[in-house]
Amino acid sequence: MANWTVTSKKMLSEVMSAETWLPTEMPEYAQGFMYMLGSLTASSFVVLVISGVLLAMNGPDTWSYNSAMRFVAATHFWAVQAFFFFMMLHLWRVFFTGAWRGGRGATWLLGAIAFLIAIPTAFTGFLINGDLYSQWNAVQAKDGLNALGMGWVNLTNAGQMFGMHVVVLPLVLTGVIGLHIIRVRTKSVVPPYPTAPKEGEAQQ
Amino acid sequence: MKVQNDVVKSYRMVPEDFVKHLLSTLVIVAVVVLAASALFGVPEKQPMTIKSYSTAHPVAFEQMALRALDGQGQIADYGPPYNNGTASVQSPMQSLVGVIHPVNAATDFILKPLSMASAINPAIKPALTQFEKASSAQQARWETRYTAALAKGVYRNGVVVTPQGQYGPLPSLLNATLALGKSGLMSGALTRNGAVTTRFDNQNYLLFLQGAPLQNAPQTQNLQGPNWGIIHPAINGYPAAWWMTVPTWIYQWPFVVNSAAPDAMALAIGFLFWLTLALTPWIPGLNRLPRYLGIHRLIWKNFYKNQPVDTPPAKVEKGGAQHAS
Repeated sequence: MANWTVTSKKMLSEVMSAETWLPTEMPEYAQGFMYMLGSLTASSFVVLVISGVLLAMNGPDTWSYNSAMRFVAATHFWAVQAFFFFMMLHLWRVFFTGAWRGGRGATWLLGAIAFLIAIPTAFTGFLINGDLYSQWNAVQAKDGLNALGMGWVNLTNAGQMFGMHVVVLPLVLTGVIGLHIIRVRTKSVVPPYPTAPKEGEAQQ
Repeated sequence: MKVQNDVVKSYRMVPEDFVKHLLSTLVIVAVVVLAASALFGVPEKQPMTIKSYSTAHPVAFEQMALRALDGQGQIADYGPPYNNGTASVQSPMQSLVGVIHPVNAATDFILKPLSMASAINPAIKPALTQFEKASSAQQARWETRYTAALAKGVYRNGVVVTPQGQYGPLPSLLNATLALGKSGLMSGALTRNGAVTTRFDNQNYLLFLQGAPLQNAPQTQNLQGPNWGIIHPAINGYPAAWWMTVPTWIYQWPFVVNSAAPDAMALAIGFLFWLTLALTPWIPGLNRLPRYLGIHRLIWKNFYKNQPVDTPPAKVEKGGAQHAS
């Protein structure tokens, strides 16, 4: 059996290397707007975290009586829209370019998991907002969760939803996005398909 | 050739300023978000409160309160995780979880709040005592009669008035509930927890309003599941959770929405869609689809233009990361 320490050391050296995170050259095919979509999604996540920290520091209902906090709530709202918008564009780009090729299946899978976790992360945020939309969606969505045997996730408990939205889900999401980005950096972005399928290639 | 190795092997590396790239995307997002926030603000629709609902719909409020009291309400007979009812049990998994957020609609929604209110308004006390001391058969008779009477109820001088009848203490109790609701104090009675002073859990407040008040409100019609629910905003013109389009679409399928467990089914089928997406790299056919769709030719137009003839695939590629920067 391989030496676990040696393996870990090798992996960490690559992951923590400035070469990995601060590249000075990129493949010629990875240029232009299509190759900004992942970074735009990650940037939206950064804006979400910053605005979210401001909201958490001041209290989740301060937007209702403080105009500055209402503006911060607005930035959090539009940042989540940007996050999903760029994530969807990114998803289409990586799908149409078959981005799982060349040993990049795990990168794709981690991205898909990030998408899945992002949904309840956003949803719990809507729930703690306290307006009609939160009220309605808490009582509507509870039936689905209850039916799936997930009644311990009590959508009508604002305290639990606050914890989920501010700590549990963002931590998990940050971890998954982090692993996804590590994979993207260490495996690089997928090279193009060879120009034309060779005779009989599809059957092979 | 294995789909995994269906990649060009020969390409150049070009200079890149990655830090500038990252800062640029961050600035783009920050500017767009700040501009949208300044221009459009944030969509916050006034919530439905017990005070606003009881004031606007006093008769319907008393009808709802009576359904909570007589066990006919949605939560009164819901089932796990709230109680041992059966009306909203959609699956065996739901029953397995058990009653972990206990709610007794009659006690928690009506009788306890009234008991607290009676400390301020002692006139409530005799009616409350009479109701609580009556047999359940007697309570049921009053409730059946008063349900019929409330259908003809009218709101006059601050109370709901019905035709005369044998309703026991119910008219007093429900008018006291109405007064409590209109005062704005009922929310406090519903969300209180005698063991702790923090008020994180607004479950009973939301469950109290979740039936007729929210279901029948004009402002929620656009948000109903069969109307593509959650992807609609509470305030028209704003985006909402449009990323939920697929599960919301599934909810429109007749066999889903008409099933005994529509919510569980929509979520479960939605999960299968996600699973297909997540496992695309390993699903034969689907994992080759992009190559034949040809969109990649547009995305890599410049690359293909510069390299009209590709080198044949290499015989062996280990990990495909040779060119990783």
